Amino acid sequence: MIAGASPAPAARIAGVPAAAVASPASTAEVADVVRGAAGDDLALVVRGGGTRQDWALPPQRLDLILETSNLCGLVEHAAGDLVAVVRAGTPLRQVQEALRPAGQQLALDEPLPGATVGGTVAVNASGPRRMLYGTVRDLLIGVTVVRADGVVAKAGGKVVKNVAGYDLGKLVAGSYGTLGVITECAFRLHPLPAARRFVSVRVDGPDDAARVLAAVLGAQVVPSALEVDTDPLTVTALVEGVPEGVAQRAADLEKLLGDGASTAETPPPGWGTYPWRPGDIGIKLTSALSRVPYLLTAVGVTAQLHDVRLHVRGSAGTGVLYAGLPGDTDPGSVVGVVSDLRAATRAGAGHCVVLTSPPAVRSRVDVWGHVDGLDLMRRVKEQFDPLCILAPGRFVGGI
Amino acid sequence: MTVDALAARLRGFLLPEQVLTDRQQLRTYECDGLTHYRVVPAVVVLPRTAQECADTVRACVDAGVPFVARGSGTGLSGGALPHADGALIVTSQLRAIREVAPQDERAVVEPGVINLQVSRAASPHGYYYAPDPSSQQICSIGGNVAENSGGAHCLKYGFTTNHVTGVEIVTPDGDLVRLGGRAPDAPGYDLLGAFVGSEGTLGIATEVTVRLVRLPETVRTLLAAFPGTDQAGAATSAIIAAGVVPAAIEMMDALAIEAAEAAVHCGYPGGAGAVLIVELDGPRAEVDAQFAAVEAFCREHGAFEIRIAADDAERALFWKGRKSAFAAVGRISPDYIVQDGVIPRTALPQVLTRIGELARDHGVRVANVFHAGDGNLHPLVLFDETVPGQAERAEAVSGAILDICVEHGGSITGEHGVGVDKAKHLPSMYSADDLDTMQLVRCAFDPHGLSNPGKIFPTPRLCGEVPGRRKGTHPQHQPGIAEVF
Amino acid sequence: MVLEGPFVDPGLVSDCVHCGFCLPTCPTYVLWGEEMDSPRGRIQLMRQRLEGEPLTPSAAGHFDACLGCMACVTACPSGVRYDTLIEQTRVAVEREHPRPLPERALRGLVFGLFPHPRRLALVKRPLGLYQRLGSPLLSRLPGRLAALAALAPPVRRSVPLPALVPALGPRRAVVGMLTGCVQREFFPSVNAATARVLAAEGCDVVIPPSQGCCGALSVHSGRHAEAADFARGIVDTFASAGIDALVVNAAGCGSSLKSLGELLADDPAYAPRAAALAARVTDFSELLADLGPAAPRHPLPLTVAYHDACHLAHAQGVRSQPRTLLRGIPGLDLREIPDAEICCGSAGVYNILNPAPAADLAALKARNVLFTGADWLVTANPGCLMQITAGLRTTGATIRTAHTAQVLDASIRGVRLNPDPA
Repeated sequence: MIAGASPAPAARIAGVPAAAVASPASTAEVADVVRGAAGDDLALVVRGGGTRQDWALPPQRLDLILETSNLCGLVEHAAGDLVAVVRAGTPLRQVQEALRPAGQQLALDEPLPGATVGGTVAVNASGPRRMLYGTVRDLLIGVTVVRADGVVAKAGGKVVKNVAGYDLGKLVAGSYGTLGVITECAFRLHPLPAARRFVSVRVDGPDDAARVLAAVLGAQVVPSALEVDTDPLTVTALVEGVPEGVAQRAADLEKLLGDGASTAETPPPGWGTYPWRPGDIGIKLTSALSRVPYLLTAVGVTAQLHDVRLHVRGSAGTGVLYAGLPGDTDPGSVVGVVSDLRAATRAGAGHCVVLTSPPAVRSRVDVWGHVDGLDLMRRVKEQFDPLCILAPGRFVGGI
Repeated sequence: MTVDALAARLRGFLLPEQVLTDRQQLRTYECDGLTHYRVVPAVVVLPRTAQECADTVRACVDAGVPFVARGSGTGLSGGALPHADGALIVTSQLRAIREVAPQDERAVVEPGVINLQVSRAASPHGYYYAPDPSSQQICSIGGNVAENSGGAHCLKYGFTTNHVTGVEIVTPDGDLVRLGGRAPDAPGYDLLGAFVGSEGTLGIATEVTVRLVRLPETVRTLLAAFPGTDQAGAATSAIIAAGVVPAAIEMMDALAIEAAEAAVHCGYPGGAGAVLIVELDGPRAEVDAQFAAVEAFCREHGAFEIRIAADDAERALFWKGRKSAFAAVGRISPDYIVQDGVIPRTALPQVLTRIGELARDHGVRVANVFHAGDGNLHPLVLFDETVPGQAERAEAVSGAILDICVEHGGSITGEHGVGVDKAKHLPSMYSADDLDTMQLVRCAFDPHGLSNPGKIFPTPRLCGEVPGRRKGTHPQHQPGIAEVF
Repeated sequence: MVLEGPFVDPGLVSDCVHCGFCLPTCPTYVLWGEEMDSPRGRIQLMRQRLEGEPLTPSAAGHFDACLGCMACVTACPSGVRYDTLIEQTRVAVEREHPRPLPERALRGLVFGLFPHPRRLALVKRPLGLYQRLGSPLLSRLPGRLAALAALAPPVRRSVPLPALVPALGPRRAVVGMLTGCVQREFFPSVNAATARVLAAEGCDVVIPPSQGCCGALSVHSGRHAEAADFARGIVDTFASAGIDALVVNAAGCGSSLKSLGELLADDPAYAPRAAALAARVTDFSELLADLGPAAPRHPLPLTVAYHDACHLAHAQGVRSQPRTLLRGIPGLDLREIPDAEICCGSAGVYNILNPAPAADLAALKARNVLFTGADWLVTANPGCLMQITAGLRTTGATIRTAHTAQVLDASIRGVRLNPDPA
């Protein structure tokens, strides 16, 4: 048994039992744990807020769960420089609360409440406001990781502009914990907007949605988010900024969205959350911007064809949608749905990834789908984790 | 295989004018925008298709000959410095804009396409390409990708890495591979993110898909003259602290202003110890409200003259002085070093004081040009090579400036890259373990170290056989279980 | 082969900081994308020669390929005098580089013909015959001579101008007028229009009938001694003519005459007078912009694309004046040509010595001109007019062409603008 880890008979990741749980409280302690695991060839999976442990694939083998709950808190908030350094186990909400008094924010949405900074980075989670602010890869300016051999490595730094060395932050963002254990992140921050408005309109179908989306994208309102929700079919745009500007832009948006558009200061129901509940099937659909309406049509046709309930919500302004299917949907139907949606996303140069699903479904679908550059990815994994102890088998191509 | 044999093989599938071995012609490629490193390449290759580029790399790999990619040759860190026994693969003939797709907010271009041409092609549709290095009129997109180039407007819009959504690359094995694409969030590792800014050490981009950004409804630009850089810096801090995110905030000190005046007659206010160019863009209602605040902050912090660009022509003139500044210094000094460092913006006054002291102590002049909004400094160290000792002193000052940047928690390069010039400074920012970890990526892409060797890393890592476990097939990926496309 | 002094001025070479800002404005770099056919690359080649490398045929070829358009001089933020460098280089290349016989023969023919209005007048007749008989005969001419014939506008008879055209209304200036060689023989209506506009704007126009070539073509091709001979003739003709200004309506001639002082600096008998005359040389549009309009303009409802001749825009810095004059005409819609800074490929006699790249550049320029949707192409150089017209012909499109002076002339006289023969 390695130092700092305690036996935990009940601990599991996606149904796979682990022998022990470790909760290191510093980067150095994480390094000790990982070095120990590497020495004993123990497979480990990192757990932050535990909000996405059922995502992707279950680990192929598992000995140790590395919890980040003791890696918590802000290391530094340089308000004048709009930069913060945060420990990986810090809940996202806690980060926002710490920044708010300075009128600042980490411009990442929190689709699943309770998520930590490290987990959000590891799965590259994003929400509606990615349209204006980008995603983790755009906001992460520095990162500290513990390698699979226990070596501590940093990349980037505490300044927004920096091209010294390789950008390892990009590589670990969205790597599902397969390249290293993230212990600290430095982010660029944004000012909190003084005002915001949500302008929504119900639309009649994908064609109508297409018209509304094109009107907003072609206008000069600079939305922070442009969302679509299929239940009922609604388009919502968010504008943020100074009060005078926001009022004018919201008024412009109401005109653009047409009859029935309404403006609110608070988000509509479901805003920024995934269209599924725990135990359901959650799918991510991406496409080129112009193909979003086509994707909406394909979703409707697919639901009808397979006689399933498909609820879609997401960023129509960037081409990243999420689809939810009830957890009790017949696995055979899910295979058909994924196949059809995959064909539809491919037509828009995008991808269809099954983020979360019950074991009965997971065993029958290729959750990741086709991945470009897989050979290079395998080579990267081999370099970073030659013994394959970090979340083995969770990622693309069995990585 | 010798380089002669390599050239012969290349001539087997390329036209004679695509393979240069004439020494005088080769020498025109001996340096990029950084002229104090010069190396004559053994052969220059000018591919016209991605396949020709891949075949060239493959031929180099087979011959064990290193290769270096070059775009327009405007880099300022010697990133495209040739290898004496290697091939220089020049992308200047790969210059087609394949597609402008405003409906997808994307453009697909070949690597030799000039940065500014992307915006020109997109502007009739109401879009532009946001990253705008000062050399945007000539630097190539391929070079921008290699260097993760920035520019004045990156303060608000981000850098090349935030605006490239896909690339086709020739790997250092000579394979054509696509990373990312037109849609966001491709599954798998963000190899695209690792590739952008890797300075040609992970392969050569042969096609780039970039984001297009909607042209703003309005752009308002002011030029504020201050007695000195401290006041201009304080105004910058006040603007940022108020929650304004300008499209750009640029600062020039007295010496930089003098050079720009001499070169392009930009007509900046006389007697200024520093000027700030502040630009806001976006929806009119938003910009109008914030512009008044910016003007007030400038006055509050001692601006003695504020000019507001009345039209595009005046705005262009404000920018002309700034964008020509590097080369313009040639008008006031026979030789100079362009430095590129980053500090936390709030450290600006202390750092400028230190730079001033350094310059005095070493008897050289330093002109300062900065992207003040994001703390990216471009000190220009002036010297005269014909005065004995001055070049060495300038070099010392230039290096010491980087140390100051690192001391303040900054970076040794904000946009010019490490290249050959700053490899020796990289260890001041990163530990041996950090550098070793970065080179794991290098080993994954280029185990033989043939792609732009000698750049970025002061000490190359040996990429031996990895003591890896041979992984079995994941149960989900056994034939018949997984749905395979 | 004797080396007389350095190849070029080493100080000027070291001014280049290698930033590359010149590359996108260089016509040969735009065409070929090769470093050694860019200003930065050519300066590097000059540097190699200074360092003792031999002048190889390949290097000479890269110098010869330069059009001398001077767009790079405009673009250079470091103020590199590429114009001086390439002129010095051309002289040195003529001195050091033995050209093959056919090359020498063609150059001999070109420089024995163009700078001589009387000889040009003599070939007009056979050329007209060729043109009337059509292309079969033309196509039998050897390559570069065919290029020459294909460029030439339809031949028309030149009308001799009087030696003095008096000012209409109050006299505001006494000016001399250069009639040029190609301009005089192939575009006589441009000279007539120039004289009428000058007179209408209050100038006494002195037009010495004996005037010869200004030497511009020779200067731009490194034929220094020949150029100096021509220049002395110009000084003899105009230096004591009692004129306030010497007006030039051909961009290439104007740019060359403005450096008359430097050209004859080594000739003590001429240097002072040459310098004084050079200071009085002015482009037609410059003079009119300085004087300000006096004659009323009549409306001309035309859509016009204005093309910057390199030797006007880049060499003389004259860009705004012709545009101001054109915008001053009621009803005229002025359009800008994309990539305006790129040379059309005419470049003196470049299109005869280097027909292939010249034709490529003409096609490029023609596309950009057509992009404006204008009905008329207006420029201030006979070479550009012929070149762009030839380029447009290959695209199958037609556009009417005129010199700035002809547009003003039509507006002042209140008549229809007649297209130049093209």
